[in-house]
Amino acid sequence: MSNVVVLDNGGGLLKAGFGGERDPTCVVPNCTARPSSSKKWLLADQLLSPTEDLTSATLRRPFDRGHLINPDLQSSLWAHLFTTILKVHPPNTSLLLTEPLFTLPSIQRSVDEIIFEDFNFKALFVSDSPSLVHLYEASRRPYGLVSKAQCSLVVDCGFSFTHAAPVFQNFTLNYGVKRMDLGGKALTNYLKELVSYRSVNVMDESFIMDDVKEKLCFVSLDVQRDLKIARKPGKDNMFRCTYVLPDGVTYMKGFVKDPNEANRYLALDASDPSSPAGEKEYVEQQVVNDKPQDRRSVDLTKNEFTLTNERFLVPEMIFRPADLGMNQAGLAECIVRSVNSCHPHLHPVLYESIILTGGSTLFPRFAERLEKELRPLVPDEFQVKITAQEDPILGVWRGGSLLASSPDFEAMCVTKAEYEELGSARCRRRFLH
Amino acid sequence: MDEEMSNSLRRMSTRTRKVAPKMAAALASSDNRTQAILARLEALENDNAGLESVQVDEDDEASLDDDDQAYQKKQSKSTKRKTRQAKALENAKKAPRTFLELLQEANLESLPPHIPTYLRAAVGPPSSTARRHFCTVCGFSANYTCVQCGMRFCSIRCQTIHNDTRCLKFVA
Ligand SMILES: [Zn+2]
Ligand SMILES: [Zn+2]
Repeated sequence: MSNVVVLDNGGGLLKAGFGGERDPTCVVPNCTARPSSSKKWLLADQLLSPTEDLTSATLRRPFDRGHLINPDLQSSLWAHLFTTILKVHPPNTSLLLTEPLFTLPSIQRSVDEIIFEDFNFKALFVSDSPSLVHLYEASRRPYGLVSKAQCSLVVDCGFSFTHAAPVFQNFTLNYGVKRMDLGGKALTNYLKELVSYRSVNVMDESFIMDDVKEKLCFVSLDVQRDLKIARKPGKDNMFRCTYVLPDGVTYMKGFVKDPNEANRYLALDASDPSSPAGEKEYVEQQVVNDKPQDRRSVDLTKNEFTLTNERFLVPEMIFRPADLGMNQAGLAECIVRSVNSCHPHLHPVLYESIILTGGSTLFPRFAERLEKELRPLVPDEFQVKITAQEDPILGVWRGGSLLASSPDFEAMCVTKAEYEELGSARCRRRFLH
Repeated sequence: MDEEMSNSLRRMSTRTRKVAPKMAAALASSDNRTQAILARLEALENDNAGLESVQVDEDDEASLDDDDQAYQKKQSKSTKRKTRQAKALENAKKAPRTFLELLQEANLESLPPHIPTYLRAAVGPPSSTARRHFCTVCGFSANYTCVQCGMRFCSIRCQTIHNDTRCLKFVA
């Protein structure tokens, strides 16, 4: 086994494993939570136990607005990760760590302190996410444009924010990066708001509503049409579906009451001639996979709620934040502004090599809608080509794993001795070009 | 606040009441509409529906497994640093830090304009001022604006629900 730990340290999920492997050893929440019935704070993987009832659990995260603000909590989570899950001995181990773009020097200092002084790692390499995504995609298609032009536009729709980041020759062009302050967390919170005001109060149910969002939300290709459909009564309403909340007795987790009903909307655009099936590179996610026995005999104690237009109004926020009260440009404009801050020679290549990554790009029809919005904003002579990563949650980690197993990796790292001699700020310069 | 309003507020979740004092402080401005938008954006980024997400808690150490704890003790001994417990306590005394506080401290405005920073990477407002308006109650197209808070609604039915449950709830 490799002695390089690769850690994609997201605001929502920790993805961790060993350099050279195809997949990380674990993908666990980067947070701690205390179930309402207990005094014990559960960490990371402990929150994933199917028997744990997380209804109204209190949540604490080391990240705020996408950046590490609670190093002590992060350190506790890492201790658990390194010791209990990965079982590594840091003094014999190097670490490849991801860090958000534009991380403040004060945060970098506390991270370096934890890595070298508390955990005693042998060596450290810090990377941003877009360059790792680029690396991974380039390696998958050695004769593709991304690889040949050594250039791509990585659109990372993460937990707390969304970045459009141009990558050139394996380096993220910082001056071209544009950020929307919107990610998966805001979407879940928006869904909570909508459901709470319309049916059941779910304001304290982050874990449950994450599940609802992941299983039931999708991106609309025609909002006005879909709003009309969502008004229809009974069976004609293709979007209506029901989610059953856990009751803490029979069900510890919530579930979609009738997955067939929930998937009826997929038939809507299937016949649309403007979207030739099979031609696209992205795969329509089959979102609902509850086991049949979970759906039997749901009693009608009103421990459930119905969704209609919420299913597409929530992801709509990424495309038109201004319509929902946020004074920010939407994703398509974000991409255009990012491209326009790069050298004109790069513009056609960037539009032709857009890579989607991050958990929030998993909504069905995300790429299709983005293309629809982007095309009119791009000069006619340029092609627009959007590639969705095969697994947008693991894409960054896989790039990291690849880099960690390359022969140059050791030389790119900062060692503990170098850190002790030079300090954080000077070591950090090593990671930029 | 009149009796009826406070009754309807009481029926709302404990969550909403927890948010209220914090929001009220952030919303000292006289402009209700600006306040409502600010409160909304804040709510969208918060864990625990608006409860402080960064409080340092005395229970912290209790959450660690035994081997994690042993590991950390060993680590702190070998580096002759403060134990984590002492550090956590020390931090507990400090006011909780938010990213916006750290950002302010970093004083990025003072950097020369050619250096890309967190602030300069913000995408900025949309180029078009055209908006589609959705009813904040039911989600359908909304043609009316609440004169008090600026939120949208589509019908008298939704207006009533808005007035009863949403309107200026953060200022309560
Ligand atoms: Zn309405
Ligand atoms: Zn109002």
